[in-house]
Amino acid sequence: MRACRDERARVRGAQRGSVSDLEALFRMHWPRAFRAAYLVTHDAAAAEDIAQESFLAAIRALDRFDRGRPFGPWLHRIAVNRAIDWTRARALRGEVELLDTVSAPPQPGSDDDTLAALARLSPEHRAVIVMRYLLEFTPGEIADALDLPRGTVNSRLRRGLDALGDEL
Amino acid sequence: MKHDLERIEIPGESEARGRSWIVLEVAFGEREPVERRRKMLRPVIAVAVAAALLAAILSPPGRAVLDGLRETVGIERAQPALFSLPAPGRLLVASDAGVWIVQEDGAKRLLGRYREASWSPFGRFVVAAGANELAALEPDGDVRWTLARPGVRSPRWTGTETDTRIAYVDRTGLRVVAGDGTGDRLVVAGYRGPFAWRPGKGFVLAHSDRPGRVSLYDVAAGKVIERSAGGRVDAGEPATIRRRGQGSEVVVGRRVVFRSAGQLDRPTASPDGRWLLVPWPAADQWVFVRTNGTGLRAAANVAEQFRSRSFPRVEAWCCGS
Repeated sequence: MRACRDERARVRGAQRGSVSDLEALFRMHWPRAFRAAYLVTHDAAAAEDIAQESFLAAIRALDRFDRGRPFGPWLHRIAVNRAIDWTRARALRGEVELLDTVSAPPQPGSDDDTLAALARLSPEHRAVIVMRYLLEFTPGEIADALDLPRGTVNSRLRRGLDALGDEL
Repeated sequence: MKHDLERIEIPGESEARGRSWIVLEVAFGEREPVERRRKMLRPVIAVAVAAALLAAILSPPGRAVLDGLRETVGIERAQPALFSLPAPGRLLVASDAGVWIVQEDGAKRLLGRYREASWSPFGRFVVAAGANELAALEPDGDVRWTLARPGVRSPRWTGTETDTRIAYVDRTGLRVVAGDGTGDRLVVAGYRGPFAWRPGKGFVLAHSDRPGRVSLYDVAAGKVIERSAGGRVDAGEPATIRRRGQGSEVVVGRRVVFRSAGQLDRPTASPDGRWLLVPWPAADQWVFVRTNGTGLRAAANVAEQFRSRSFPRVEAWCCGS
């Protein structure tokens, strides 16, 4: 509750032009926006662009933002939708994924396993998994954010989890 | 699951956060905070809106109100497609499908799967940015040269008939390469914010590495030659968009040349300076407005024409065909 009040105060401050309040909002929400975008796109540069563009969109819309709504979910929703769009566009372009670094072979149970298992899901399935388990949206909120029927969200969650369970 | 997703290490996260904050801080410094309406006005506005809707339904004069509401979905007389441009020149457009050139007669050519692009100084070539590639192209799509770089964006070409430079940013910072693709080098490490070439002689890049501060970097000298305490990087807008409640106004000089009931994007001027292309994303329209306020044309279904889910972005309107 206190965090919500703090966030509302920060949004109010940012609307009035306070850089320190914007920075506080950035510190609170950029890491998750970046992580969510990365987990959907599996591309760190794209995730950086998406998180940054989502914040820029939020800044542009700040004056119209309803302070009664939480800022974080609003921002994260923009980021995840952009990440899905980016991933679909990349699939259309037929790009080959370029790895930033040559990493060691993944060890069982390591972070790489989770990432690799996620990568084998479709972007739509990754998005619902990320929204549910990283961003802690409810299935109803995911349905609303992605403009999907609730049943579709539930089935994607179930299939996504099943696939991840098999992989891990 | 939450724990698993949170502990995945992302390469370069800390650097990405630093770069993003610089860009956001600069962008935030350039916005103009709007005084919020007082809460007590809300019921008055709600009553006024209800009364206007009732008038529209009940009385013939109220049709004007309905017409006004329709404006929120764009210009009603818009052509169903972009059949031609109202002035000589060619457009560069970026959509989900890639970068396009639009000829004066409305013919469109997809140059390739690029994200952004800009014209060379005399419109003979195009420089385009892909995810990990900078490419110089002929307007027919032939590739002159490419440069593999990570996370390329914002290419800008400047120079004379015989000597040109392209500035762009990638994951390492602000970089400059000669127009023939040689001599690529990093000029401002870690910088990913706004920049612009200074008009006139030489190759001088203006960039804002701190909110409110503009630095001028001379590419030939390889150093910053001037820093100003105030100001911002401004590529020189042909017109400004002024917000009016939910609507917008396009202002040229001090004259309002177009009003809309929805939010408009940054306009692009035709090469002869007589027309503005004003994007209206919510209406999926491009509105062409005469800069003297005497003419108006619109084309609808813009996204579909450029095979895009998101609203296409006009990169530039350049030069004769």
